[in-house]
Order: sequence, then structure tokens, then C-alpha cells
Amino acid sequence: MVTDLLYNPGPNTIHGISRLRGGGKIESQREPVRSRRAREMEVLRLPLSASQKGRLISAGYTSIASLSSISPSQLALELKISETEVLEILKTASDGSRLESTGSSRTIVHGAQSAWDMLQEEETLVRITTSCADLDYILGGGISCKEVTEIGGVPGIGKTQLGIQLAVNVQIPSDYGGLGGKAVYIDTEGSFMVERALQIAEACSDDMVEYSCLYRKGSQACEVKRQPKDFLENIFYFRVCSYTEQIALINYLEKFITEHKDVKVVIIDSVTFHFRQDFDDMALRTRLLSGMALKLMKLARNFGVAVVLLNQVTTKYSDGSFHLALALGDSWSHASTNRIILHWNGNERYAYIDKSPSLRSASAPYSVTAKGIRNSASNNKRIKHT
Amino acid sequence: MGALKSLKEEYAIIDANFLQFCASHGIFSVEDFLVHDVYTLVASTEQLSNSYRLKQGINQLLSIIETCHQPWMNGLMLLEDRKQNKRCLSTGCESFDMLLRGGLHEGHVTELVGPSSSGKTQVCFQAASNVAMKLGSVVFIDSGNSFSPTRIQQIVAYISGSAENKINGILQQAMRNIDCHAVFDIYALLNVLHQLKLKLKSQTGYQVRLIIVDSISSLIAPILGGSNAQGHALMVSVGYLLKELADRHNIALVVTNHMVGGEGGTLKPALGESWKNVPHVRLQLSQDHARNIYAVQILRHPYMASGRNANFMIP
Amino acid sequence: MANKLISEMGLPKSIGNIFAARNIITTKDALSLTEFELMELLDVGLAEVMCAVALISEIASPPYQTVQSLLEQRMQNEYLRGHLPTHLKGLDAALSGGIPFGALTELVGPAGIGKTQFCLKISLLATLPSCYGGLDGHVIYIDVESKFSSRRLIEIGLNSFPEIFCLEGMAKEMAGRITVLRPGSLTEFTESLQKIKVSILQHQVKLLIIDSMAALVSGEYEQGPPRQHPLGWHISLIKSLAEFSRIPVVMTNQVRSRSASEITQYSFQVESRTGAIEDTANFDSHLVAALGIHWAHAVTIRLVLESRSGQRFIKVAKSPMSPPLAFPFEVTSSGILLLNDDGVEMAGPQINAIDHQGHSDIICHRDER
Repeated sequence: MVTDLLYNPGPNTIHGISRLRGGGKIESQREPVRSRRAREMEVLRLPLSASQKGRLISAGYTSIASLSSISPSQLALELKISETEVLEILKTASDGSRLESTGSSRTIVHGAQSAWDMLQEEETLVRITTSCADLDYILGGGISCKEVTEIGGVPGIGKTQLGIQLAVNVQIPSDYGGLGGKAVYIDTEGSFMVERALQIAEACSDDMVEYSCLYRKGSQACEVKRQPKDFLENIFYFRVCSYTEQIALINYLEKFITEHKDVKVVIIDSVTFHFRQDFDDMALRTRLLSGMALKLMKLARNFGVAVVLLNQVTTKYSDGSFHLALALGDSWSHASTNRIILHWNGNERYAYIDKSPSLRSASAPYSVTAKGIRNSASNNKRIKHT
Repeated sequence: MGALKSLKEEYAIIDANFLQFCASHGIFSVEDFLVHDVYTLVASTEQLSNSYRLKQGINQLLSIIETCHQPWMNGLMLLEDRKQNKRCLSTGCESFDMLLRGGLHEGHVTELVGPSSSGKTQVCFQAASNVAMKLGSVVFIDSGNSFSPTRIQQIVAYISGSAENKINGILQQAMRNIDCHAVFDIYALLNVLHQLKLKLKSQTGYQVRLIIVDSISSLIAPILGGSNAQGHALMVSVGYLLKELADRHNIALVVTNHMVGGEGGTLKPALGESWKNVPHVRLQLSQDHARNIYAVQILRHPYMASGRNANFMIP
Repeated sequence: MANKLISEMGLPKSIGNIFAARNIITTKDALSLTEFELMELLDVGLAEVMCAVALISEIASPPYQTVQSLLEQRMQNEYLRGHLPTHLKGLDAALSGGIPFGALTELVGPAGIGKTQFCLKISLLATLPSCYGGLDGHVIYIDVESKFSSRRLIEIGLNSFPEIFCLEGMAKEMAGRITVLRPGSLTEFTESLQKIKVSILQHQVKLLIIDSMAALVSGEYEQGPPRQHPLGWHISLIKSLAEFSRIPVVMTNQVRSRSASEITQYSFQVESRTGAIEDTANFDSHLVAALGIHWAHAVTIRLVLESRSGQRFIKVAKSPMSPPLAFPFEVTSSGILLLNDDGVEMAGPQINAIDHQGHSDIICHRDER
């Protein structure tokens, strides 16, 4: 761009050099030409501080390639900064330019995975059952690990109940078709009820006994019953009292899950609460939320945990009328991979898949019983595919 | 282009004397040279003893720069380039292709905007599956954990329309053609794009036909706004890199952008005015919940009237 | 935790100084910015910012407890397993012991249905000596609408617990344990909440009652839905009050007639299920709780008081523990009495409906169905 500026006003020659080289084959000329031009700003794309970038550019190191062959001590001298700082810069730069060196991989970019490999991997993934067969059916087996699922609904529809149910169900051992994992329950509202968790855990442990009686009669009669308190032992409960703590905790989860490898579900009840108050600057809220959403996605993907976000509803004005909609606005609606809305339909509770890249939008009835989330009592195949 | 002294080894005429002369004018890099007036520079050599050699050096430098700018191309050449290298990739969805007169253009950055669950990701999947089955490699850059191999499998089966037992070979081949890369921040995206660029340049015979970034807006949203201008610079940088990849390697590029509520409850694309000039084609998607039909409308296209629209179904 | 100082976190000196120099003092300052903004503001690379943020986050994160240890702790330390019994057998059973400590319980109902009666009764219960099933503590009663009546309080006491209230001086002592505050405006209310925060710990306060929450904002809340809820900040404060002092908080909420524009449907429901709308219109009453949906999300337990065909009902509309039950009740000289303790299980969103029929001061009369 700068070159154009220089040439436009000037005459065609300075000291007899011909400036205009028209014609020629397109292919042969384009290659070097564009690459050089594009590299001009490459250093700006590195995650370095503004002053470091400034120093690099003013010393003439604008392309990433130009940093690959230089010795650290020389660069330190030229940039007038310490050698340790230079080493950091060089490390950052080499991260950005490293070509895939391990020849065995077919993927073109470091860290990529082919869809085929992902398919094979996905087929081995176990989903977390919701304890409601109809709901599991439309979800393709339950809540998916490696994905972020958002669940919203009006007050009293059973969001917290579903959250607790999932925290218990994730612990069903693999002998019983479960994951045998642990749960992180992040309570922002103070609505978690220990007594209720105990009830649901008791019901789950009863169900397991029933299951083993039915299907493995005689084989392991002496099997020790899994106590409800074992279930409760494996739910890590965090109480979060401000949005600062919420952000801090989400940052820290990465480390926490590294230390507690068998955590398979993270439930945030609710993701909304602290972000609905205490905010005057809506633009800041949007930035923080979208940053948080990306961190949760990363967590889900890298550790293979299911992230379940419970959300509140609000009224929203669109298309000339008021609707109920999940809170936190339009940009947040992109933050989750799957979105499930719990709603009343007549006298029954329904779950509706509002958004999912892999599932059809469908709805299924469920009910909340003393034992937890279960199939709707009056159920006779009423799953509707819309 | 870098520091002047990096040119020292390549060109004899750019020697220590020349560098010293340049340094005396505060010129250390090619960029510094460019922002200096050449005529004053030439004039100032006159007082020096080795003025002829210095002028030669300046000439040399100018001719180096000469090779670094966009070649002059006339319309005919551009047309030829377009005919030869820039084809249309069918998305596998008839009415969609018809609206775009053939499908996604290689060399174009196509942007899909739409509110949540308006079919953006589904269109991406559809296009990816179709290209992977029939044409070549696809790179899917996923920032929302939304890439679903199971769904791709379904679409491939649907497109091929063949029996279950026959499909396995096609399926495996198609799915091996799609590379998925999860990125969760803007630097990771830049890194991936940069690696792609290097790879495409260094490995001949390897051709990527389609790159999808779903969604670009969720990566850019956290860095925009606030008090800094750097976020904006990075966004422009991403846009530039995307366009460069598309044009230079004849790749069709698809990005998705979500929509947010603007004034008066109307929806507008999340990446607004300053991003607007990056995509060549901007398509708006919407979903009719009741009839389960998706609609697409052209908001911007280099040579088609905006406002045209079409309906399509997703299998 | 939000106000923890960054300088005390043991960050590497170099970067710690940069934080200080840019006036980022507390955790809140640091985490209210995205990593990208921090990079810009502090002028350091991404890697360093990530390190610093990770460290700050780890220190600022609240500690965890397993649910089992939480349960044990509640069982051991708390009297009556963390519930204040209402002495209404059916209701206590449904709420697994009574009104839970550390959570918000809300009473919604039309005027004159008995909300205040309920409040008076439970404030008495909280003051009773533990040998009579009370909490033996003080009560703070925030009376916005000046409805608190000491005479009625004593009357309820005499009729329900004659053995205590007939004792010399007991009535006085019991009533003396109830502190009544009468804030005139939202600002005064805010101030008194701040004061309460301190005094709860000093004076054995075992129950907080706010009667009524809706009256505080009714004047200010009419003009269209504001972007931020005017009570948003108070919700947080009251919740934290309840939680950290582990006391039950009971609030009342009024009703208002539903405006025509109000919709209880999601956009995906509207076109596809026109039939469903008709259904809801049929059983939905025209009364809704005065404080909107945002408020309803914040309360843990919601009890709806209503009257149908002249019979009053108390309904457990939102509760993490209880099935949706409705109990018929009447207001007697000894306060609220349940007519039966079994309750009727309600189906569907009917549990949230607020009926108001066969009652004298009707706001919005319903037609016969």
C-alpha cells in the first residue's frame, strides 16, 4: 500500500529505471509479490505487547520469518531489551510459524483433526443420561461431553432439579452404562438444596440396585450398594457470590480439572445471575460474557467435560410483540453449542431443542418427581419432530 | 520486507557505506526508506564523495521494492485469471447455488449472517460435505464446538443417496477430506491461518478448496470495544489474511457472523461497519420455525443485486 | 473475594508492579477486563497476562466443598436441620421441615388473603424458646406498608401458644424480640438493609421479614421495563444476607393484573402451536406477581396464596424439594390454619396461577369459567 503511494505521483523513471512492468504471465509474477506485501504486518498479529511490537517494527523485523534466523543476543542488542525478554518474543514467534514437523500426521495444520477421526472418537463417547428416556432420545442419548449445553426456562420449571440430576447421573459407573465421573456444581444463586441432592442420589442408588437385580441376577449378588453419600462425596460444590468470582472460578477450573481428572460435568446454576445486576456498561458485559463463553468452550473441548449452563428467562421485544427468551441477549445466544428450553405445554413440562448443530429441533415431555427428573407420567410416544 | 542490512548479503551494491548513509537519514528498514522522499535523498548524495555508488544503491533498492508491489494487471488478465482459477463450489443445495449462480466463489470471502439457530452452521456443514465428497480438502475452523462429525455423516449419506453398505468408502474419503481445528481466541485463529498459508505455499500439489470459520464474530467480539484500538487492528488483520488466502490460493472462504439486537429491536450483524468491507459476499439467513424452511437473502454481492432471496431446506 | 488485593497475591515483582502502576488494585479491577484489554493496558505479552490472570483467578476463586461435607455440616451445626417449622403440618412436610435457612422464601397473593398473618405467625415462631419448637432469637420485620399490628401479634400468640403467652411478662418479652422497621422509600430501605447486615450478627437475629417487597418499587416500576432491574442490586444483597448468616428470609409480593402485552410463550411456540396458546389462556389467571420474572428467578421458594370459590389455598409454586401441592387454609384468631395436611397435587402451570374469586377487595375480577 505504501508502495502505491510512492509511485502514483512520480514519473515512470528515476535514473532510467523502467517502472512499469506490464504483461508477463500472471502466475509467475504473483507469487513473490503478494507474499512480501502480506508479511509487512505479520508481527502485529503476534500476541506480544504493543511496545515489543513497536520495537520489532522499528528495528525492521516485520515478518515472522525474519525472526526465525536471528540469534537472541543480537536481537537483544538491537531492540535494547533484556535477553530473557527476547527469548520470550522468539518463542511466541516460533509458535506462530512452526510447520507441522511430525510427518505422520495427515492434517495440514498443527492440532487439527480430520472429521473421520473425530467421528471415530465421538462414537466412543458416553453421554450423560437425564434419567428421562424421552429427553435422552431427542438428545441422542443424553447430554454430550465435549460440548456446552445451555438450559433455560421460567422459574420453577425444574432447571436446578435437572442440574442436580446431572451431577448425580454423571457418577453412574461404567458397568451400568454411565461415565463414572465426578461433578463440579457452581452455584451462583444459592438455590442448591443439599436435601434435594440427597433425595435424588438415594433414588439413583435405588435404581442401580434394581438394575443389577434385573440384569445380572446371580452374577454378583454380593455387590456392595453404592451409598447415596458416595454420590454426594463426588460433587464439588462452589458457591460464587459475585461476577468477579465467577470469572475467576472459570479461569481456575482449567487447573482444577487437571488436578481432578475424573470431573466429567461442570454445571453453572445459573450463568446469568450476577451478570444481570451490577452492570452499567453493557458493552463490557458483552465482552466479558463472550470471553467467558470461549473459555468454557475450550474447557469442554480440551478436557472432554460436559459444560451445562443454566439460564434464566426474560421478556424480549421482537417482531412487534413480546416473547419469552433466554436472558443475556442475542450475542450470548451464540455462546453455547446446544440450547434447550424448558417450558410448559398445557399441563406438562416439555424440553425443546432450540439450537444444536447435530440434533433436530424436537421436543419431549418430562416430569419432576420426588426421585428427580423422570419420564412424563402420562407418556405414550408423543415426541414431536418439528 | 525488513531491515536494510538483511539485503546486504544478496546485493553487493548495498554495502556498509550505503547503510551508513541511510542510517544518517534515519533509514534502517525498507519501510523507512519508502516514507522518505527519494529526490531529497538523491540530492543529499551529491555532497558526498561516493555519490555515484550511493545513487546506484538507491536504484537497487527501488528495483527491489519494484518486485514487491502488486503487479499491474489489466481487466483482460483479471478475467483470464478468473476463468482459469476461480471456479464455483457447489454447496449441494440447489436453490442456494442458483441464487449465487453456481455456489461459493473461489477467491471470495463469503459471509453468512443470521441470528442464533438460523442455519448458519448447517449451511457450512452442507457446503463442507459437498466439497469434501466431490472436489477436495476442506478446513473447518471451529470456535463454538459446533462441528459435529455425526451430522456430517448424515449429510454425506443424504447427498450420495446411495445404500448404507456402499457409502462407507465415500464417507471415509469425504470425512478424511475435512480437517477441523478448534480455536478459542483470536491469536489461535491467526496462528492457524498463518500455518495454513505457509503450508499452502511450501507444499505444491496440496490444494484446499474451502476454508470455513464458524464463527468469526465470537472470536472478535471479546477484543472489540473498550478503550483500545488494537482490537480493531487485529480484526482488520484477520480480514486481510482471509482475503489473501482466498485470492492467492484460489480458495473459497466462508465465515459466519452472528446478529445482535440493535436500536428498536431490529437485528444487525455483530461485526459492523468496519468489518463490512472484508467479505465480498454477505448473505443473511433466517429460519421460519413454523414451516421449517430456511431463507437466504443477498445483502451484498460484487455483481448481483442485493435483496434477492431464496428458500431452502436442510436435510 | 472480589476485593482482594493483587499486591498480596505473590505475583512476580515485575508484573505486580505493572498492575499497581496501572491502578489495577483489586481482583475485581483485573478480572473486569478481558485478557486482551489487559495486554493493551499493561503493555505486556499475552503469555504473561495469562500467567498473571491464572494466578489471580486461583486465589480469588471460592473454595469448594463436597456436597456430602456440606450436608454433614448442616446436619450437625444447625438447629432443626436448617428449617424454621411453620407449625402447619402439611406445609412443613412438603418443605422438608419448614422454611429453609439461608434462602429466600416468597409469599405472593392478592391483598387481604393472609400474607401478613403468615408473616406475623412465623415471626412469633422464631422468637419462641426452643423448647416450644421456636428459634429463640430476634426478628427483624421490615414493614413497608405499615401493616404490622402488635395487638394482632399478641392475639395470635395467645391463641396458638396459650401456655407461653399466659405467663407473666412472656408476651412482652416475645413481642420485644421483634424489631419493626418502617422505611418510607427505596433509599431508606437500602440504608436499613446495610445496617441490618451488621446487626444480624450482633443480636441473635434468626429471621428477616420484608412485607412487602413490591410496595417499595411499585411507584417506580410502572413506566415500561427498564433495562436493568431496579431491585437487581437488592436481590444480591438480601441473598447474601440470608446465606452468610444462615437465617430464613421471608418476603411478600403483591399481585397486579396482567397487561395485555404480556406473553408467556417463546417465539418458537407462537406460530407452531396456536392450540397451546388457547390452552394457556384458559387456565392462566389475569393476575400475576407484581415483581416480574427476574425477581421470580431469584427466590428459592415461592408460596402462592389464592382463593378459589371462596376457599383459600396456599400453594407451593416453586420449590426445589416439594411437588406442586395446594393446601386449603383459613385465617383464624390463631393465624393461618390448614384445613387438611395432605394437599392436592396440581398439574401444570396452574400452580403459578393466582386466583382471586369470592373475595371482597378484588383487583381484577375473573369471569366464571
